[in-house]
Amino acid sequence: MIDWISNNAGMTGLLFFFGTFCGIVYWAFRPSQKTVIENHKFIPLEGDDA
Amino acid sequence: MNMLAEKPNYNDDIVKLFTIASVFWGVVGFAVGVFIALQMAYPALNFGEYLTFGRLRPLHTSAVIFAFGGNVLFATSYYSVQRTCRTRLWGDGWSKFTFWGYQLFIVIAALGYVTGVTQGKEYAEPEWYADLWLTLVWVAYLIVFLMTLKNRKEPHIYVANWFFLGFIVTVAVLHLVNNISIPTSLLGAKSYPMWGGVQAAMIQWWYGHNAVGFFLTAGFLGIMYYFVPKRAGRPVYSYRLSILHFWSLIFMYIWAGPHHLHYTALPDWAQTLGMTFSIMLWMPSWGGMINGMMTLSGAWHKLREDPVLKFMIISLAFYGMSTFEGPLMSIKEVNALSHYTDWTIGHVHSGALGWVAFISFGAIYFLVPKLWGRKELYSLKLVNTHLWISTIGIVLYIASMWVSGIMEGLMWRSYDSMGFLEYSFVETVMAKHPLYLIRALGGVLFLAGAFIMVYNVIKTIRGDAVPASSLKSEEAAHA
Repeated sequence: MIDWISNNAGMTGLLFFFGTFCGIVYWAFRPSQKTVIENHKFIPLEGDDA
Repeated sequence: MNMLAEKPNYNDDIVKLFTIASVFWGVVGFAVGVFIALQMAYPALNFGEYLTFGRLRPLHTSAVIFAFGGNVLFATSYYSVQRTCRTRLWGDGWSKFTFWGYQLFIVIAALGYVTGVTQGKEYAEPEWYADLWLTLVWVAYLIVFLMTLKNRKEPHIYVANWFFLGFIVTVAVLHLVNNISIPTSLLGAKSYPMWGGVQAAMIQWWYGHNAVGFFLTAGFLGIMYYFVPKRAGRPVYSYRLSILHFWSLIFMYIWAGPHHLHYTALPDWAQTLGMTFSIMLWMPSWGGMINGMMTLSGAWHKLREDPVLKFMIISLAFYGMSTFEGPLMSIKEVNALSHYTDWTIGHVHSGALGWVAFISFGAIYFLVPKLWGRKELYSLKLVNTHLWISTIGIVLYIASMWVSGIMEGLMWRSYDSMGFLEYSFVETVMAKHPLYLIRALGGVLFLAGAFIMVYNVIKTIRGDAVPASSLKSEEAAHA
């Protein structure tokens, strides 16, 4: 397994990072979570300014 | 929710210190920039060994990037992380150490530059002892930031903090790897780098380009994502787009460095890789710019009325322009013309003056009245004057460098009918002289704007009364 990964490190790395990035995009843009995620934008405007 | 409603006792003393240091180092860095611009036009201004262009140039770049920009990043990150986490900055003593430690690093580095002590690596000139000291300060900065995030009362970590954390962690990695060197003696300043040849060049520009990507971009985007919504009184246009913006930059920026080494001994595939990732960066950069600008969607009138917000939005326009120009210049065929010419200098300054300095000015103008408990700045009219005088200065600077760069690039590649070079090098230097004068004039205007800011900041801190003539515009800004 390790030998195969080291021999194919370039392609393995490319697929791993591309897959991770696609996962992040899916996580951020899931329609079901739109309201929940977008509500975080109000954090700077709530409370504070002591 | 009760915890969120509580008003934490924020540590604003440290933010005040970094804000004052930002203004001070900004003026120093801009002034040295004007002087070396004049040296380029009039070489007779190279006095003695300590004030030559070769020694003052790194003093200028370090003063504006690390001293001015670095202090702005400390101030704004410490201010916003407390408020978005609803908790006091962790470790008063630690944060104070980051302030005095960072100022000491700046002084040590500057003394090295003028006395000729340098590693000779662009943007990484300080020798091993200064690098070690900066490492300690930076680790302290990381600990203060992480512990504040850990103590947060707000469950979600706001996206500005992601950008700040990305900037702190990546700069630490870049600094450590690029500066690995062996001192010739523990009592001597000289050291030799671990890396050599093309590997050294690759690591240097992996560092150099990501200093732009993470110090001058990610960190200042953290400022944008907190201070633009605060000043506009509206949330960022799309939070999901901000997440995409962050992760795209993180995944792509780190690969773009080889475009600094086109047509060198670097393997061709690495050059093409750098070019490709640079072009891909167009998308997240423009996505972020649009996200910032569209924060004003439905409230564009605020842009007309508030010069502080104008600073921030114009900075985003420059961010968009320079992040369009950068990928364009990374294309090998374009780079064949632009590399080693003044076009690069113009590009760097459209980003540094237009994006970095303008978003910094906006943040400083936002911070000063809040930190010193004033209702508003001493004079919004003076902010407006600063804005326009600096904008004219930037336009003069970058336009003259575009013309100068493209002209000299074309002159260098011009052949006569016999196949000889048509122009000698000195002829290109002479042809650039009038453009160097225009560049220096642009720098003088930008410096004059900074002095206006200093006056306004001092008057605001002292709590002086707002002039009657400014009251009208001040009221309009808050209508």
